[in-house]
Amino acid sequence: MIFTSFNFLLLLPLVVALYHIVPLRGRSLYLLVVSYAFYWIWSPGAAAVLAAVTSLTFYAGKVVGDPTAERRGRVVFLYAIGLLILYLAIFKIAAATSLGRTVGIALPLGLSYYTFKLMSYIIDIYWGKIQPATNRIDFAVAIAFFPQLTAGPIQRPADFLPQVPPPRTMVWQGLSRMVWGLAKKMLIADNLAPTVNYVYAHIGGSQVGGLHGAALLAGFYLFPLQLYADFSALTDIALGMGMMFGIQGPENFNRPFTASSISDFWSRWHMSLTSWLADYVFTPLRMTTRSLGTLGLVLSLSLNMVAIGIWHGLTWGYLAFGLVNAAYFVADALTARNRVKFFKTRPNLTRLGNWMGWLLTFHLVLLGLVFFRAHTVSDATWLLSHALGGLAHAKADVSHLLAATGAKVLLVGLAGYAALELAERLRPDQWWLSFELTAPTWLRLSLQFVTGAFIAVAWVLLTIRSGNHASPFLYQVF
Amino acid sequence: MQSAGNAEIMETLTGVFREIFDSPGLVLHDAMTATDVENWDSLNHIDLIVAIEKKFKVKFTTREVASLKTVGELAGLIQQKLVAKP
Repeated sequence: MIFTSFNFLLLLPLVVALYHIVPLRGRSLYLLVVSYAFYWIWSPGAAAVLAAVTSLTFYAGKVVGDPTAERRGRVVFLYAIGLLILYLAIFKIAAATSLGRTVGIALPLGLSYYTFKLMSYIIDIYWGKIQPATNRIDFAVAIAFFPQLTAGPIQRPADFLPQVPPPRTMVWQGLSRMVWGLAKKMLIADNLAPTVNYVYAHIGGSQVGGLHGAALLAGFYLFPLQLYADFSALTDIALGMGMMFGIQGPENFNRPFTASSISDFWSRWHMSLTSWLADYVFTPLRMTTRSLGTLGLVLSLSLNMVAIGIWHGLTWGYLAFGLVNAAYFVADALTARNRVKFFKTRPNLTRLGNWMGWLLTFHLVLLGLVFFRAHTVSDATWLLSHALGGLAHAKADVSHLLAATGAKVLLVGLAGYAALELAERLRPDQWWLSFELTAPTWLRLSLQFVTGAFIAVAWVLLTIRSGNHASPFLYQVF
Repeated sequence: MQSAGNAEIMETLTGVFREIFDSPGLVLHDAMTATDVENWDSLNHIDLIVAIEKKFKVKFTTREVASLKTVGELAGLIQQKLVAKP
């Protein structure tokens, strides 16, 4: 069920309202039933498999965390991690090859997200960071919590478990965050999508209607904006929904396109995934290879970035995306010290350096994302090698594109995106929070009433609209 | 109360931290975490660990490094290793 679909938006207020009637000790069970019902509707088989793999991990965790049987714990740890990786790999391989269609295996929704939650749980116990969960219902909710189940953020059980059962909810805050996400998705991402889809469907010189020059450049610049609006909207919705049930999830984005270096970008983009990989892939690799010096660093960084790429799927495009970013990251890490030294001794160049760093990072990131979006690696290289050609007929190329996709839709999307960047810079929500704390009660209440009415109207409008065409989120397929 | 050994460890650690993070004025305390120090990210973390291993002539495992949360815990782990040394 898509979060912007009619049925979902209609059901959610009911599910939240009932939650508030349930006594505290029944809240975990309630969340478990709702989460599994949500998943069951999509696929009963996938729900049964999720329950099985969750139970196995729960019992494995108990053995791994047993201080009286360290040897056995180590063996079970290795088996559990091996099996989880195998489980993830089988489905990913089946999805990437014709095997899936032959055997009739479909990629379970949210597989990449929940197996990462399960793995972090087992590893955290093995490393002594957490104790095994005592309550199997709480644990099952931590893995299957429906706001995060299909597309993250990847909230580790270590962070989720102390919050259940949640004694208090944050309905007002959650609702605002969710409406913000829904608006981002429907007003920005969905309005940028037609142009991006058109460009990426018409790559290739010999193809009928094949695009050239400036039209390709439009796809190059627009897809990252669409992806960010779409994916961060999904995160807003997931986090907002979580708050309505009293769960605070991890943030996934921190104004990624303001980054001034590649490492800075990766600390601002899909943070719940990148921090997971930093802790469970990069750090162990780097520790193992630390005696190799720079070579160890290059190897660990490269493998980490390739893992980020193929986490999305076993395709050449995602692999290329990972490799391109690995090259960027290695160059960044190897020059970091010298760059800092250079600018320390030339403080008058710092501003220019930051600005150049931003411009370069932005374009390098966009270049990598072409491989992420294009259907094939050759499509990606074709786009990149032809986007700057024939700029003399840029006007004709763009009019050709706009005639096919609609200038108005794109304009709404772009205006929305500009508003999004502005809002993230000015943070009116924080201003609002501090205002709420100091304003007299009558003013606060009347403003809350007006905002509440506005949200209710927006909700109804979004519900009605999504009845006609709910488009899937880009990140709900991993 | 910190034992004398621990105070010495903290002093040596301060030198290592200042060099790795290029921050001559850095002052360590037990409750300090990675978020309190500029540039202390997962990349620099292992550089720091390698420098500490060299300075104190000890070896850490991935498990130990991963479960450390504060500077105090790091100092405690170093002390433990030094005491256990033959």
